[in-house]
Amino acid sequence: MNTVAAPRRELDLFRHATDRVIAGVAGGLANRLGVPSGYVRAAFVVLSFLWGLGVVAYVALWMATFERVEERSGQLLDNRRQVGLGMMFVGILFLFRTVGWWPGDLPMLIVTTLAFGLAVLSDFDWLGRLLDPQAARPSKLRIGFGAVLLLAGLVALGGALSQLRTLGGVTLAVLITIAGVVMVFGPWLVSLGRALSSERRERIRQEERAEMAAHLHDSVLQTLALMQRTDDPKRIVTLARQQERELRAWLYGAQPGPNGEKFAAALEEAAGRVETDFAIPIEVVTVGDTELDDVTRAVVAAAGEAMVNAAKHSGASEVSVYAEVEDGRVDVWVADQGRGFDLDTVPPDRRGLQDSIRGRMARAGGGAEIDARPGEGTEVHVWAPLDGEEGESR
Amino acid sequence: MIRVFLVDDHALFLSGVKAEFEDMADRFEIVGTASDVDDAIENIRETNPDVVLIDVHMPGGGGLAVINSVTETHPDVTFLALSVSDAAEDVIAMIRAGARGYVTKSIGSEELAEAIERVHGGDAVFSPRLAGFVLDAFAHGLPQPADPELDQLTPREKEVLRLIARGYPYKQVARRLSISIKTVETHVSSVLRKLQLSNRYELTRWASDRRIV
Repeated sequence: MNTVAAPRRELDLFRHATDRVIAGVAGGLANRLGVPSGYVRAAFVVLSFLWGLGVVAYVALWMATFERVEERSGQLLDNRRQVGLGMMFVGILFLFRTVGWWPGDLPMLIVTTLAFGLAVLSDFDWLGRLLDPQAARPSKLRIGFGAVLLLAGLVALGGALSQLRTLGGVTLAVLITIAGVVMVFGPWLVSLGRALSSERRERIRQEERAEMAAHLHDSVLQTLALMQRTDDPKRIVTLARQQERELRAWLYGAQPGPNGEKFAAALEEAAGRVETDFAIPIEVVTVGDTELDDVTRAVVAAAGEAMVNAAKHSGASEVSVYAEVEDGRVDVWVADQGRGFDLDTVPPDRRGLQDSIRGRMARAGGGAEIDARPGEGTEVHVWAPLDGEEGESR
Repeated sequence: MIRVFLVDDHALFLSGVKAEFEDMADRFEIVGTASDVDDAIENIRETNPDVVLIDVHMPGGGGLAVINSVTETHPDVTFLALSVSDAAEDVIAMIRAGARGYVTKSIGSEELAEAIERVHGGDAVFSPRLAGFVLDAFAHGLPQPADPELDQLTPREKEVLRLIARGYPYKQVARRLSISIKTVETHVSSVLRKLQLSNRYELTRWASDRRIV
């Protein structure tokens, strides 16, 4: 039984949702190691100069980890992330230049201007928006700045195109058009998707609520109605207990084992039946559990008989049942603090019941013991070995 | 006169228990009630009661949060857990955090009154259900403490717990084992101590594990 918080897995890495520049890998790693995230980022950058090791490690960790969803806040991205992405972009430009894939300064300047304009306008945030509906909207200043950059880029592009008249220019124009369309309709598409998913969530919630309401109506409300029409306090208690038991079973559900029912659940069910039939509370406490087979079924039946006896004859206000499954045997005690009786002067009908308890347990390879004294309550103890072992006699 | 504080998020239950205690005004004084975790922590610190009757399940961390916060500043306050909960791990967690006992809400007024007096007197209160939970916890799965002496219950302690689980009041447990009630109380208290001590060992280990990581 694990009562204190479970220890974490040793390598419980995650991507930080808020402390991040690119994907939160460094933030998550820093959180795990307990060092400032700046050091981790610096380490990644330094490693990147060693044959790109840092980049490889970063991407590998990115793929291997998940973002911590519960740590997500409304403001997903901060300026650091935008600076990071900008630096990445500039870095890629340098890379292109080094490799030799460089169509000339003017087209690249145009592309860069357009890219930054778009980025500032859209807050770098298409992915962030898709993932998180609550991301902040860009400010008016930002929109203005982005629009100016974009316009400048387009003008420059137009000038360049008229000079160069290349086929590549047409492709570029198409791309710009697509970018414009995405900018205009993107937010709408995103919000549409968001609305659909929240609608689905709401529908699931409503279905759960409806199921819950149906159940409560069939059980709890009916019982409450019945209780209002009852004058007998004993009956009210019985109804309340019965309802309590049913509700508990529904809420916490005694799950049946792989081979069917479990012993403890069967014993509680037997106690519930007696409780209902005889209007007496029966407190069941169980330690350990096992599958329900022929032997344990016999134990449950014998204990049930003992409960019926206690309910019928003891005059006690409560019956206690304690069951223990341990060391290859099962024990059940059924006790009441009622009037008890003298074992030597047992009336014949009770003698018969005793025999049925004793006989049943003997057939199951176990035994039964009855402890009763006039005025001091009664206790019936039944036991049986599990797995067909020979029963020891006490 | 024992100064009692009630914590429960069900107003109906709170007022019911309060009314029951008003009939026993010569034995108990209700110094305050609270229906959520933050309220409870603040008001318990303010009123400094002898015994706090505390619900296991509450929004905002439950009784466990209250016990942990209050015992930090007021180690003398005694807690008695009172709940409808059937979840063994929740109840055991409360006991291990320092509650001196656990009784179910179906308990009668007089039994509840006796339970409060017993925890106030420094003894532990084991209802049949708690005795069952504890036997279960020691038999299966309780994290092993460092000290093997705390590892398990003595045969006598186990016998006492079993009799309590079988529904016998302390008096009858004593009679059946031919020992005094005081001895029964001693056994029960030492079981409680074992539960709480093993907790402390486990916490230390848990903390050091984390530092290594």
